[in-house]
Order: sequence, then C-alpha cells, then structure tokens
Amino acid sequence: MTDLDHRYAGPGTEPYGPPSGSLADLLERVLDKGIVIAGDIKIDLLDIELLTIRLRLFIASVDTARKAGIDWWETDPALSSRAARDALAEENARLRERLDALERGAEETTGAVR
Amino acid sequence: MSASAAGPAATGLLCAFAVTRTPPDPAGLAAARGHEEGGPLRVLRADGLCLVVQDVPADLFGEEALTERLNRPEDLERCARAHHRGVEAAAGRGPVVPLPMATLYRGDLTAARAVAARRQVLDTLLDRLRDRTEWAVKVHVAEAEPEAAAATGPGAPARSGDGGRGYLSRVSARRREQQGARGRALAEAEAVDAALRRHAVAATRHRPQSERLTGRRAPQLLNVAYLVEDARRADFTAALARFTAGGTHPAVRVDASGPWIPYSFARWDEDRQADPDQEADPDPQAHPDQEAPS
Repeated sequence: MTDLDHRYAGPGTEPYGPPSGSLADLLERVLDKGIVIAGDIKIDLLDIELLTIRLRLFIASVDTARKAGIDWWETDPALSSRAARDALAEENARLRERLDALERGAEETTGAVR
Repeated sequence: MSASAAGPAATGLLCAFAVTRTPPDPAGLAAARGHEEGGPLRVLRADGLCLVVQDVPADLFGEEALTERLNRPEDLERCARAHHRGVEAAAGRGPVVPLPMATLYRGDLTAARAVAARRQVLDTLLDRLRDRTEWAVKVHVAEAEPEAAAATGPGAPARSGDGGRGYLSRVSARRREQQGARGRALAEAEAVDAALRRHAVAATRHRPQSERLTGRRAPQLLNVAYLVEDARRADFTAALARFTAGGTHPAVRVDASGPWIPYSFARWDEDRQADPDQEADPDPQAHPDQEAPS
C-alpha cells in the first residue's frame, strides 16, 4: 500500500506526471483519433501501433547499446545517412529484442524452478 | 499577424495543444517548453475560450515534413513529449480539453474559427472533465500460468500404452487446460474492470496492445482508461492498489499509470451525443460504461 502512495500521491508535487516507462501509454493518448476540433493540416500517420512498436524497439536498442558502451552510430560517418542508420538500428533492435527475450526466459526458468 | 517581425516566421504555422476556460498562469506558461523548434507557448482567445498554442516553422511542421518526421521513432517521441508538455502547461487552472498531437493551423484566425465552430462541444467536454483525471490500467495474463498448466501436462501421459491415441488425448487435454487458464484470466480481468468501474465516472477501452508492443510474452487482455472524480480518487487508487499488488486475482497481472490528463475522454463520439450529462449521475452502477463490455 505504501508504495502505491508513492506512485500515485501526485496531487501536491507532480499532478500529471505519468510514470516514465509509459511511452506507449502516452502515444496511445496523444495520437487519439477522437477529433474534437480539426486542424487545417491533416497528418496521416501510418499505423499507430506499428509506429509505437518501432519506437519501443528504437529505445530498447539505444538503451542496450549504451549499457554496453556501444555508440558507433553516433560516430561512424558511413552511417550518417538516415536511411542506413534506421535500417541498421531496426535490425539491431530486433536482434537485441530476441536476445533479451531469451535471457529473460533463461532467468525466469532458473529463478522459478530452482 | 505578428509574423512580419521575424523573417522565417512569415511561413509559420500554429500548433494547438489544448482548450481551457481560464488562461494558464503566465509565468508557468513562459517556463514551459512546447516543441523545441517553435516559439514560446501563448494563449489565443477564441469565443470566450483559451487555446494554448505555439508558433512553429512550416518547413518542419508542414504536412509532408511532419508526416515524414513522425514516421521516425526519435522524432515521434520528441513530438509526443513536447505535445504533452504543452497540454500540461495549459492544465494548471481548471479543466482542459487536450487536443490530439499535431493539431495545426495556418494562423490565429483559422484556429480561433475552429474553436468557435465547436464551442458547444468544447463546453460540454470542459464540464465533463472538470476535477477528473484519467487512469490507465492494463491487465495481462499472469506469466506463471502457462508453467502451471505445463506442470499438470506431463503427469497424465505417463502410461504410453496406446501410442497415437494417447498422444492425441494429451494434446487435447493440454489444449483444454490452456483454454481453461485463458478463460479464468479473462473472467478475472472482467472482475477487475467491474470493480474499478464502481469508483469511476466513465471507462473506455483501448485496443489491447500486442506482445510486440508491450515486450511481454503474456498477452494483454484489457487496456482500459478510467475517468475518476477527484473526490473519489482515494477509493479508486485503494482498489487499484489491491489489484496491482497481486494476490486477489492470481490468473492476471494488473498494471496502472496515472493520474493522466483525461486524453481518452476528451473526444467527441457522435453516438454519445444523445445524453452527454448522464455520467454526472453519482451512481456509477447504473451506467458504468460508455462502451459495452465486449
């Protein structure tokens, strides 16, 4: 109960601070399509879910790489073109995702059974 | 328009964040940052309402440029966070209707006109969202569940006498077990939802997020937003705490975030138009839903 007070005690301090991990929640909300008043300019986003997945993978890859001390994409001039960087980052993210999932799986089995 | 002062602003656009009745505190507004590429946040008066806006460069926020930018993860995140900051800055003094990200106008005039044209709807929403916050709740199948199912699996098939038939019966037993587990999880998810709705003014369901999106192996069963009256927030969060702590509903895992500015309820669904103030009824039991539980 006390840790709930921590997380939700908001009113006095930070009334509207959603927890930092909830980027998907934020996107789900700010990209909501229930238009109250329309703008002059219409932005057609692809698939919101797809965008959010890409964003999550991107963040995961940056975090993992940073932890490992890898920041090649910031320095390598061959990767300065955005297209190349995006493609590599995505592939990298996919691979790291799989690695994470495998590691998590391994942890859980050792943690749960023994 | 004041655009003549600075060269690049002549081709500027107006980005709108939120509508309020009372203008936000000027110091707070000045301290807040909207989009990094734009000017300071300011208030545009429109037909008695206040629109919190920011001048932004057209070469970055025009239709093509912005569409392209938002399809890049890092820019999408920056824009989403900037938009949220703009909405938060608007929300200081009373109810706020947050607008969707990338609500852009060619100038003050068309923006003010758009607000005036929807004055009634905005008024209704401002009344509806006053002193209320949104809470996001996600219910997943508990991760431990499949293992429990698997544990009962190998017990039965030890006798291997009847080969193929034995295999088939094992497979169907496992499938029944899995369906049973999912059924239990679904029932518990609905029970959690029903209990939370008792403390909420309204609830709306978002599409459950895929496993690729959540990064979890357990499927998401419910993705609900609750609109909670400030006066009842303690009841709601107490109920929520029991569920997020686990134990009450072992087949599911409940996660929550909040309080949020009520984004999910700042929308105008035409079919709800019939009786917009029915939710003001203090007895949520009578009509807890905007959406029928599926």
